Amino acid sequence: MQTTTVIKNRISTKSNVSVETRFKRQVGLILISPWLIGLLLFKIVPILASFVFSFTDFHLLNPEQIQFTGLQNYRILMRDTQAETALWQTIKLALVIIPLQTFASVFAAALLSSQQLLAKNTMRLLFFLPSIIPAFSAALMWQGFVNPSTGWLNRLILSPLGLEALNHFSSRGGGGGSSQTLFIISSLWTIGPSILIMMGAMQGISNEIYEAAHIDGAGRLTRFFKITIPLITPAIFFSLVLNLTAVFGGAILLDRGSRWRNDFSSYDGYVNFVLFEMFKLGYASSLAWVFFVIVMIIVLVMFATSKRWVYFPDREN
Amino acid sequence: MQTSLKRFIKVLPFNVFVWILLTLYLAPVLFMIVMALMPTSQLGDKKAPLYPARITPYKYDGQEYQLYNVPMEDGVQTMALIKPGRTSSLLVDPRHPENGLVEWRGDWRTLTGIYEFHIAWENFAHLFDSMPVSKMVGNTFMLAFIGELGVLCSSIVVAYGFARFSLPGGNLLFYILIATILIPEKVTFIPTFYMYIKVLQWRGTILPLLVHLFFGNAVYIFLLRQNFKSFPIDLEEAAMLDGAGPLRRLISVILPQAWPVVITVSLLHFFYTWNETRLASLYLGSSSTWIPASFAVQNYQSLIRIDNLIEASTLIMLAVPVLILFFAQRYFMQGIIITGAENNR
Repeated sequence: MQTTTVIKNRISTKSNVSVETRFKRQVGLILISPWLIGLLLFKIVPILASFVFSFTDFHLLNPEQIQFTGLQNYRILMRDTQAETALWQTIKLALVIIPLQTFASVFAAALLSSQQLLAKNTMRLLFFLPSIIPAFSAALMWQGFVNPSTGWLNRLILSPLGLEALNHFSSRGGGGGSSQTLFIISSLWTIGPSILIMMGAMQGISNEIYEAAHIDGAGRLTRFFKITIPLITPAIFFSLVLNLTAVFGGAILLDRGSRWRNDFSSYDGYVNFVLFEMFKLGYASSLAWVFFVIVMIIVLVMFATSKRWVYFPDREN
Repeated sequence: MQTSLKRFIKVLPFNVFVWILLTLYLAPVLFMIVMALMPTSQLGDKKAPLYPARITPYKYDGQEYQLYNVPMEDGVQTMALIKPGRTSSLLVDPRHPENGLVEWRGDWRTLTGIYEFHIAWENFAHLFDSMPVSKMVGNTFMLAFIGELGVLCSSIVVAYGFARFSLPGGNLLFYILIATILIPEKVTFIPTFYMYIKVLQWRGTILPLLVHLFFGNAVYIFLLRQNFKSFPIDLEEAAMLDGAGPLRRLISVILPQAWPVVITVSLLHFFYTWNETRLASLYLGSSSTWIPASFAVQNYQSLIRIDNLIEASTLIMLAVPVLILFFAQRYFMQGIIITGAENNR
């Protein structure tokens, strides 16, 4: 007798729970439905469509004469040296820019959260300021700044030190290598959001941990490397991911706009060229798809290795 | 008093270090501001000082002339250049204009001007004359307003769904959300572009700039969700016992705690809209009546090759976001929290 009631009770509570969770799920689905619809309309359908386009000779000027060409686009792509150079350039740039941005934003966040800093809010605002300058204007500013005859780099820094003027440092549209240097340096002007993320993470660390370490005799540097850095690894990971997607043309936390022609990465620039100058939608789609697959592989590798070095507090509960 | 002075001296080296870093970091911004205030006559002039300056003007006979240092028989004299010439020029002594014109032999281009500090406000007047500034800025604010409305409402509701409700498939949908952040724009762009331009014929309208915002933005949803999750759940449970429905709980329990992150997200979106040029150049074009300020200024900057006017237009473009940043710094400068751990303070 007793056991049956217990079982009955169990069954009844179980079904109650499931009704409740079902209701919760329905409410949740309704709440996220705007995003779900957007996901379908602006992500899934376009991704599939461009996959289909990539097997055709789709041309913007005569879209009616679209024909399936099979693997033709991908065969052309394999021999496209321009695409290959652009891709390698993008990857090389990413390998330099992303570590630089990450290091600089951790460093700046550490300075800006320091107890010793005077006028904290003003300093934070000033360090953030370059990140809201439109990309196009920022590029012009840097070009003016390094201009050999009128820029301050030569007149205020190099010539007083007796150094030679950097004539090759690219005026408008200038030569390859040095304008890339300029580009890398000016990429430090986009780290504002990353600094904010690192600062947010640093504020989340309780003072007790630092005090305990201090009592145990840990110096300032030890505390920074043994406490701060490990505890902000989620923020570092997040900003790594965001900087990566920014270089590879994904979502940007703080988009400052730019021009289609000289987009952020050279690969993007090449796709734009194929799209807007040659109007080859089909070929551009296959270029985009190859890039999509490469980026997704990089991201998957990042996420797979993240368990080893990122401390996820949510995962503990 | 003594202790605060002592503390100041103690922290001074660190702060000096930060100030030096900041100066180096912002040097091109300072350069831009100084350039923006320079008169056009200073640009090609290699003898001109680094600060905004002009050659001191001098009035003679109702006309304006410029003052130069001229090597004369009795040493270097300050003279006004009346009629410049390659082999001989006519000068006037500003201390004794009644003596009339003096002839000087030599190339006037070897002379050094006498510079005085001068801010070229006319640069800004020129900008306001050559661009419909108030119309452009009005357009941007309109786009920002509609966009904020769409992106905030949708992202907040979706983030709340992700933060507080168990969804079918467990965390799968959340992982898909993160994945959409990482998808390169190009792969979705080509069909979307074709759809807007050829199928829907939306070229010249503001719809392609705004429609997608009403379906939420993955980055904003992520940031909001992580913050919502960090709020203690007890208050919501209490509200639920009082019979408050999901939306009611969102508005009266979550949102009052979430102001800092909501402000952060809306600022991020405002800065984005303020600087956005890609969609505007694709779908609106430069002759549209809806042209936003950023795109108009970019066109202006790529057409005009006069550096001080370029930098002046940059300065004007920066004024609005900097002001907003200044007034919102209390919320914005606290940092962005991205870990979703519950906070039980």
